[in-house]
Amino acid sequence: MKNNIPKIGIYELTGCAGDALLILDCEEELLDIFQAADIQSFLMAKSDNIDGALDVALVEGSVTTETEVEELKDIRQRAKIVVAIGLCATAGGLQARFTDPREWEKNLELVYGHTEMTHRKAIQSKPIDAYIDVDFYLPGCPISKEQFLNFFTRLVGGSPPEKYPRPVCVSCKYNENLCLLKQGLPCLGPLTADGCGSVCINHNLPCLGCWGPVEGANAVSEFYLLKDKGFDTEFIKKILANYSGTKTPTFFDQLEKERA
Amino acid sequence: MKRISVDPLARVEGNGGISATIDGKAVTDVKFTINEGPRLIERLTVGRTPEEDVSMSPRICAICSISHKNAVLRAMENALSVEVPPKVVLLRELMHMGEMIESHSLHVYYLALPDYVGFPNAIAMASKYDLEVKIALEMKHFGNHIMKVVGGRYIHGENPVIGGFGRFPAEKELYWMKSRAIQFMPFVFKTLNLFCELDYPDCPEDGTVYACCDPGNEAYGFWGDEILLSTGERFFRDDYKKLTNEFIVSHSYAKRSRFNGKPYSVGALARVNVMGKRLKNESGKMYKKYFNDRWKTNPLFHNAAQALEILYCFERIPELVDEIVQHSEDPAIVPYKIKEGAGTGLVEAPRGLLIHHHEVKDGLVYHVDIVTPTAQNAEDIERYCYIAAQKLLDSGKKEDQIRDRLELVVRAFDPCISCSAHMAKVKKAPTDDWKNKLKRIMEKHSPVFIGVGCPDLSDDGVGIQLALELRKHGNNCVFLESEIEEDETLWEGTADRPLIFLDAIDFNEETGKVTLLSMNHVLINAPLSHKFLPIVSGLMNYKTLKNAYLLGIQPLSTANGGEISPPVRKAMKTVLHELLDGMNLN
Repeated sequence: MKNNIPKIGIYELTGCAGDALLILDCEEELLDIFQAADIQSFLMAKSDNIDGALDVALVEGSVTTETEVEELKDIRQRAKIVVAIGLCATAGGLQARFTDPREWEKNLELVYGHTEMTHRKAIQSKPIDAYIDVDFYLPGCPISKEQFLNFFTRLVGGSPPEKYPRPVCVSCKYNENLCLLKQGLPCLGPLTADGCGSVCINHNLPCLGCWGPVEGANAVSEFYLLKDKGFDTEFIKKILANYSGTKTPTFFDQLEKERA
Repeated sequence: MKRISVDPLARVEGNGGISATIDGKAVTDVKFTINEGPRLIERLTVGRTPEEDVSMSPRICAICSISHKNAVLRAMENALSVEVPPKVVLLRELMHMGEMIESHSLHVYYLALPDYVGFPNAIAMASKYDLEVKIALEMKHFGNHIMKVVGGRYIHGENPVIGGFGRFPAEKELYWMKSRAIQFMPFVFKTLNLFCELDYPDCPEDGTVYACCDPGNEAYGFWGDEILLSTGERFFRDDYKKLTNEFIVSHSYAKRSRFNGKPYSVGALARVNVMGKRLKNESGKMYKKYFNDRWKTNPLFHNAAQALEILYCFERIPELVDEIVQHSEDPAIVPYKIKEGAGTGLVEAPRGLLIHHHEVKDGLVYHVDIVTPTAQNAEDIERYCYIAAQKLLDSGKKEDQIRDRLELVVRAFDPCISCSAHMAKVKKAPTDDWKNKLKRIMEKHSPVFIGVGCPDLSDDGVGIQLALELRKHGNNCVFLESEIEEDETLWEGTADRPLIFLDAIDFNEETGKVTLLSMNHVLINAPLSHKFLPIVSGLMNYKTLKNAYLLGIQPLSTANGGEISPPVRKAMKTVLHELLDGMNLN
């Protein structure tokens, strides 16, 4: 019935389901989205799901069980284009904070004790590109409606999605906010990919970094700026790590090189 | 043996499943599983500052992100003794109304309604139910709009912080919300009538204990400092563990809860059952019009209760706006000091009681405990699915009919799997599955056996006979029903070991057929529970119950004075063989 429109599947791995929910939150556009594309699979929204060949797969969530690795590989085989949506899929999310396997195991035990799981075996949280090739990334915790609709429109129109190589500071300046770093607040705007429209700073709150690192982020300069404002090294390292998941080491490598 | 399973379950928030195992004419096992992996959120914020914790822990869940935010804020402000001004409290309630409207309208229209009108999803439903789909979209959009204006974003808004808000919304935005809420009223009533007058099936029906927060002042509301149960019992916020008693099951990464050893329910239906009488104005009138005894026992009425709460929220928004504008002088944020302390925050998320407990030491978060509504509902979801499956099986329903009903039941609870961690299947399991199950039990620990029955009643003597045979083969951990009745101390020291009851049980099958049931299911299956309740009550606590089983053989006759019939004798030999094999494993 639907011949010339792209076949799209939306999949959720482990996460808060916020990115899939955000797609449902496009209330005004939702009926159009379902007409412009043939949504083959979207577990949160429909029960007649088909797992066949796809033009595009949107994958949310990080990989945290062995079953999910298999599911993900199956999605990659079926889809021409795979897009990671949301921070969990692009960088592993909050749950990728325990980068050391021993630390992760210790914490798993602290929460679940020694109960032997007959359930799917848990593994350390990783972004989807740890297991498969990813064609495009749409970051954010959660993704933004504007960015998603822009991305989706280009995709169904057959154009490659636009990149966002700008930090939050660009939106922040357009929004005429006063710089919070200058006021001594630990704002991560300069390091963080834009897409939210500087929402936190618009509310007088420092950027937390929930879009993950922007390309070419200068962590060294931010580090010394925050040191100057009186924050200690441990605190700065923690806030850099909170939302950067497996991308955190890129920050720490920069810092190491600077010291050497 | 057959297995009915829906996995993954569609049209729920997150990834989970439900499965039921059917052995002949008995449902032997029901499992509600959560397929998402563990995220260890409670450990992620340990060692972070209280402010980082407030931003990070609500990311457990997108659908309930405002509820999590309000819960962590209440916990943290209790821990740090922060008093926030009235305008802050009222605005937090306003954004909570936004989430309730958004989540309830999404659930009743998008996720639940397609089942009742025979469509696979809400978009397909739009071809016939154009107006309903539009109402749903508009209503959901309104809820989202409130969350964005007050909380900063649709999902994971960062504007609410310890001590207040980063920035207050403009008054003209609030007046717009008020007028929109009033304008929308006719559609709210349409929603209420639709969901309160839906033809809900009468299976499953059974009583349960309902729990929710008590807002105090005999008011209806979505947070409070006490938990109130339908039994009238109350717990102060810090004593929440007296209700939840969390434990872990091996088939899910979500923890489970029971109260007094029994499942309980939380959510919109729990709230309406516990405090529906407190509803005023139009929602009070509608409560009187629609509430009846079926709401007390049938979980499918969750959808009706949600529709009633949508009306409550739409009535509350204009009141809240009027109150908020009277406090125009209040500061957006009050200063506070970080100190050592522990605090608990109780709120009603759309799908039920949400508990956050956070402890701060040396300026950093030291311990976090979060109990989510779906984790609390999981045991009752399994129980109701069991009741539904057994009843439909008894009335001769087919597998796919059972599967559809299980899906309906799970979905009615509006489970939020991200919070706890999609859901229902019907599969055929190999025959003689009891052998594998038995092997798995015996591999771990050598069990304690209890022979049940009466040797004078023909086949009913098979349990005792089996026990005696085991003893003959040198197993010391075998007791007879009569022995444990006389001396309860016999049980001492066996607490960690699995218990297996041996008995002749009528499960409507061919004579001599064997089944292995978990004791939990025996106790909620009426004819069997009458026999077993007196034996196990008082002797077993819940922990042992989880590890107790009934190995039963279908008798031919239990007439007075007869011999054990040949098919039962044959089955007995097979069972004995398996048991002795298992014993050698140890």
